Amino acid sequence: MRKEWVLISILAGILFVLSLSVGKYHLSLSALFSGFADDALGRQVFLNLRLPRSIIAAFGGFSLALVGSVMQTIFKNPLASPDIMGVSSGASVGAACGILFLGGSIFSVTAGAFAGGLLAVSLAILLTKAGDHRQLATFVVSGLAVNALAQALLMLLKMVADPHSELAAIEFWMMGGLGSVTMAKAAGAAAITLPALVLILMLNRQVSLMSLPDTEASALGVNLKRIRPALLVLSTLIVAGVVSVTGLISFIGLIAPHLSRLIMKRNNMSAWLLSGAIGACLLLAADMLSRSLSYAEIPVSILTSIIGVPVLIAIMVRGGRLP
Amino acid sequence: MMKKKMTTIISMLLAVVLLTSCAGTAATTTAAAALTTTQTTAQTTAAQATAAQTTAAATTAVTSTDPTTAAEFPVTITDHLGRTVEITRMPETIVSGYYISTSLLIALGMEDKLVGIEAKADKRPIYKLSAPELLDLPNVGTAKEFNLEATAALKPDLVILPVKLKDAIQTLTDMGITVIGINPESEEELTQAIEMIGKATGTSERASELLAASNQLSEKAASFGKDEPAQIVYLAGNSSFLSTAGSNMYQSSLITNAGAQNAAASITDDYWAEVSYEQLLQWQPDLIVITPEAVYSADDIKNDAAVSSLTAVMEGHIYQMPKQFEAWDSPVPSGVLGELYMASILYPGKYSADEFAADVRDFYQRFYGFEADVNA
Repeated sequence: MRKEWVLISILAGILFVLSLSVGKYHLSLSALFSGFADDALGRQVFLNLRLPRSIIAAFGGFSLALVGSVMQTIFKNPLASPDIMGVSSGASVGAACGILFLGGSIFSVTAGAFAGGLLAVSLAILLTKAGDHRQLATFVVSGLAVNALAQALLMLLKMVADPHSELAAIEFWMMGGLGSVTMAKAAGAAAITLPALVLILMLNRQVSLMSLPDTEASALGVNLKRIRPALLVLSTLIVAGVVSVTGLISFIGLIAPHLSRLIMKRNNMSAWLLSGAIGACLLLAADMLSRSLSYAEIPVSILTSIIGVPVLIAIMVRGGRLP
Repeated sequence: MMKKKMTTIISMLLAVVLLTSCAGTAATTTAAAALTTTQTTAQTTAAQATAAQTTAAATTAVTSTDPTTAAEFPVTITDHLGRTVEITRMPETIVSGYYISTSLLIALGMEDKLVGIEAKADKRPIYKLSAPELLDLPNVGTAKEFNLEATAALKPDLVILPVKLKDAIQTLTDMGITVIGINPESEEELTQAIEMIGKATGTSERASELLAASNQLSEKAASFGKDEPAQIVYLAGNSSFLSTAGSNMYQSSLITNAGAQNAAASITDDYWAEVSYEQLLQWQPDLIVITPEAVYSADDIKNDAAVSSLTAVMEGHIYQMPKQFEAWDSPVPSGVLGELYMASILYPGKYSADEFAADVRDFYQRFYGFEADVNA
């Protein structure tokens, strides 16, 4: 076991326990270990709010970061991530459709986010192919185009939304936050995300080989025509599953993979898992800050963006080299 | 070199943890402090309630604090989500996540039992006037960003929320907290909400008084326009004077109840509709009435060249609804004062500004316990 693994795991563990004990309702660690013998409401808060929230922060951060790693590897591009490729904004449009036209249940939001995300990423890939796909700029511009289109659609949807209920629901979803995560929602998200996560990890050899030039990957027996779309569908499913309960969470999928590669100096399955662990740490920390910095909760995407934007600039300054 | 970089990154991550845990501890301490304060307040409140009870018993046996009313519990009500809610005992701590229910609880004399209210309470002048202590209460967020944990931390006996928070209502119910969902979007629903909350807080009698007074004032507002030709009123909305309420909205009923005609009656949107200058010119309203929470003033309309040809503008028939109390254009418990206001500007000969001011003063004196001055 490498040293950095031990450190990050301990860090994630500490953050998780902290996450269980931080919040508006005062839950002491001693009460936690005694099973809330004399605080029935505290027990309910722990089981219904605090525990699912912490689980989703850790699990969601892990999933988004892992997907980011996989995308960067298969596109051989340091900017490939759910945010830049338009998956997130496409998922937002889809989720808004789910809220508007399908009743806004957790299932309709997930289905909408999945469909929207998949459409957006397909469009981004088509656009990238139309340009010079080895250029970082092509990648960014196609993402930009997809994002702009998604924003326009979103504005249209917001315009037709009923300002009393649906508009508020869409806005709230866009801001992202783990404040409304409950056990039932957490279980629903896990049921969608976990199988896809396992499948992606099972395909780790193919993903690794896809970091090589396409011709070499094909020569080594990777069926690119099949594997690439399959990986994209799985990635989008994971992102949709997570964001359907958390709302939009930006930048985790972009920065965790970079931090991981900086530490590991290589890009393999263990670097992806480390990326996932870093993602979990980042989202746990951001979520804790979001519920403790002020009396009102701060949308978590504000915090992840504050960390994410400087990293994005650093990548730009470094010239987009994969470490 | 490699080592150095790694150490830097790890130490940065550790710094984040430290920061978070610091912030976390601070927050926990604040939360604990808030809790203690709340408890103290609750105790003080209880003491006050006892004092009030004694006084009430000493003078006349009336209303909410009467032990016989308290004995009526448990009560069962059906809320606006169609849920059956049982309230086992008289609630001693209440959280209201909606400005309409908060105002109603003041009117029912329950403000001392509130332990948490909706965010942005400082934007509601009525709290400052009638129950300034509410402004110091912890807030439980808005309909957009509702805070479940903050609500649970207040350990309320009863929580009142707008129905658009139906997910939060479900979650709190699952946690064993008693919640009522209300949806006062029309006069009828407002009446139901008042009855519901009166029953749930053991103040049915006071709620009936409020409803009776409102009905009486509403009939009064309707009486002046009986034999008058219907004037056309354009209601200029909060965000811009080119937004207005169509016939499906509660706001429209203020105009029609006073015997006038809503200029925008042909609009059937459920929310404030944007209209064009041309549309407004074509409607040619007799009066322009500006809502209490409008972000512009009557001068902005007077100085706008595009509407200078309107008769209402030329003759100076632009009226600003009083801003200093509540949004009388929405279904708040004092909403009937909006109807009276319409009558006072439509028929000043029959219902003078002074009489209107007296009615407002009486209403707020009786239900909110403060001296209201419309002309201030």
